[in-house]
Amino acid sequence: MAVAVRVDAVSEPVQASLWSDAWRRLRRNRLALAAAIYLVLLVGIAILAIFYTPYRMSATGIAPDYAPPSLAHWLGADNLGRDQLSRLMIGAQISLVVGVGTQLLVLAVGVPIGLLAGYYRGWLDQVVTFVINVFYGVPDLLVALILVFLLGPSLANIIIAIVVTRWMDMARLVRGQTLALREREFIEAARASGAKPMKMLFGHIMPNALGPIIVQATFGVPSAILFEAFLSFLGAGVQQPTPSWGSMAKDGVDAIQFAPHMVIAPAIALSLTLMAFNFLGDGLRDALDPRSKR
Amino acid sequence: MFTRGTLIFIGQRVVLIAFTVLAVSSIVFLGIHRLPGDALFNEHLHGEQYALLLHHYNLDKPLLVQYRDFMIALVTRGDLGESLVNRGVKITPLVLRELGISVEVGGFALVFTIGLGLLFGVVASVRQNTWVDYVLSTTSVIGYSMPNFVIASFLILVFGKWLEGVTGGTFYYQLGAWKGDIGQLWLPAFALGFPYASIVARLTRASMLEVIRQDYIRTARAKGLRETVIVARHALRNALIPVITILGPLAIGIITGSVVIENLFGIPGLGKEFAQSILNRDYFIVIGVFTMYAAMVGLANLVVDLLYVVIDPRIRY
Repeated sequence: MAVAVRVDAVSEPVQASLWSDAWRRLRRNRLALAAAIYLVLLVGIAILAIFYTPYRMSATGIAPDYAPPSLAHWLGADNLGRDQLSRLMIGAQISLVVGVGTQLLVLAVGVPIGLLAGYYRGWLDQVVTFVINVFYGVPDLLVALILVFLLGPSLANIIIAIVVTRWMDMARLVRGQTLALREREFIEAARASGAKPMKMLFGHIMPNALGPIIVQATFGVPSAILFEAFLSFLGAGVQQPTPSWGSMAKDGVDAIQFAPHMVIAPAIALSLTLMAFNFLGDGLRDALDPRSKR
Repeated sequence: MFTRGTLIFIGQRVVLIAFTVLAVSSIVFLGIHRLPGDALFNEHLHGEQYALLLHHYNLDKPLLVQYRDFMIALVTRGDLGESLVNRGVKITPLVLRELGISVEVGGFALVFTIGLGLLFGVVASVRQNTWVDYVLSTTSVIGYSMPNFVIASFLILVFGKWLEGVTGGTFYYQLGAWKGDIGQLWLPAFALGFPYASIVARLTRASMLEVIRQDYIRTARAKGLRETVIVARHALRNALIPVITILGPLAIGIITGSVVIENLFGIPGLGKEFAQSILNRDYFIVIGVFTMYAAMVGLANLVVDLLYVVIDPRIRY
């Protein structure tokens, strides 16, 4: 054992940082790597769809209604004779924009709140904790539905609704990390050398909590995508003719007896994407926090 | 187990739930009135008839007066008003009946979820790092990555279409046929519960692995107890404690998930009414359904908190 360790140390003279270490561990996780490759492809498809789709996604009647998959229309056509593949590609855009956009906003809201509550504690922390608990107590999907219902269904409003119902996960995580970090010696040292509060929070504490934050954000993306799919499935998502995987699945379910291809394609796309983000999140967690027990 | 403190705790929580319910219905009531369009817009009515209808629904008063009357009726008589679409249909008995159906479906799904999750979790932990463990662990990631409507679609596709010859395709929920026919609940319960069963399984596995290495388990083994007794009696009891922490989110997830599942399986519960009433712009029913949901979520959380006390005697309120 000792020999192995020494050989390792000799063969890697460069001091490994947390990030290169994590990258090395992540590469060894085949499932996470496969997930990452899938997601890169998906992003590629979503970007491609900005410039090119086989057919116009809103063009109706370019194939017979409910046409099954064929050479001209690889995934068949939907109830209005629109090309499924083109719609699936645009749907990928919607899902990614919602997933990533939501998490960026959640980061912008949750991280500062968590940092402030965890660092200053006292009444601020109590208020934040109380608000977080209140939000955990209400059913997120229903609150999001009310919000979309009241604000009107648009992509921006959907993202807002998801952020309102999902920001607590990040705030709670960052608060917990901050509570633990603020007692550490290096923070004491920073305080002793007169670091300003902003520098303290964002320069010393946040970088050290970055690993868990990244993992949490990665897990947050599929939950936001799922959320959007739910809203669209219930008819409160992005509005026709813009497709979303959720609304495509809804159209498919309505025709499930005679055109099952309509539900299968979006269902598989959605499940694969959610799975990929979850596997990637698992992999990142193992890579960034080797002590965490699985 | 339940001391005087517990009763006070329950009392406080019930008051809190009541306030939450009133707050939710107020927000929805006031929010809905901001919506463009007319609640009676499908009717194409004019003149006196229209005025009469508005008066009938108390819609001809200023908003705050409407709100006051609505609140008084709700608090004193539990009256949620009358359907805008189906004239004369009182909303309170309607949503209460639907609530019963939803609770039955959701309760079955909850039992199913916990049972399946515990079984998978325990088996995976007992067979740690064997193929059984890998299969179950992978299944559980797949499970919580699949939206419940995707699972439901596949179940309908498989059992309703491809296996129609075998199943007869009659898994759809039939009104009035549900008493004593638990078979019709399996598919909705599976679709509703499987994602959460996966989470329960992961948690159970992790906490079982922790517990099974404890000294008292070794003692039990040394006493010569059978492995099944050790797992079921000694390990599982303690492994359950972290699992209970997700019961609250789980119950809420099943309640909200039922909105989708009830629509897919044609179950005439609260979730189906909810989607229907939004489509119909039957705003008073929307308010009523939200009120019911808020009450249900509050009660579910309370029950979960009380369960902690039952399972972990160290916790007191």
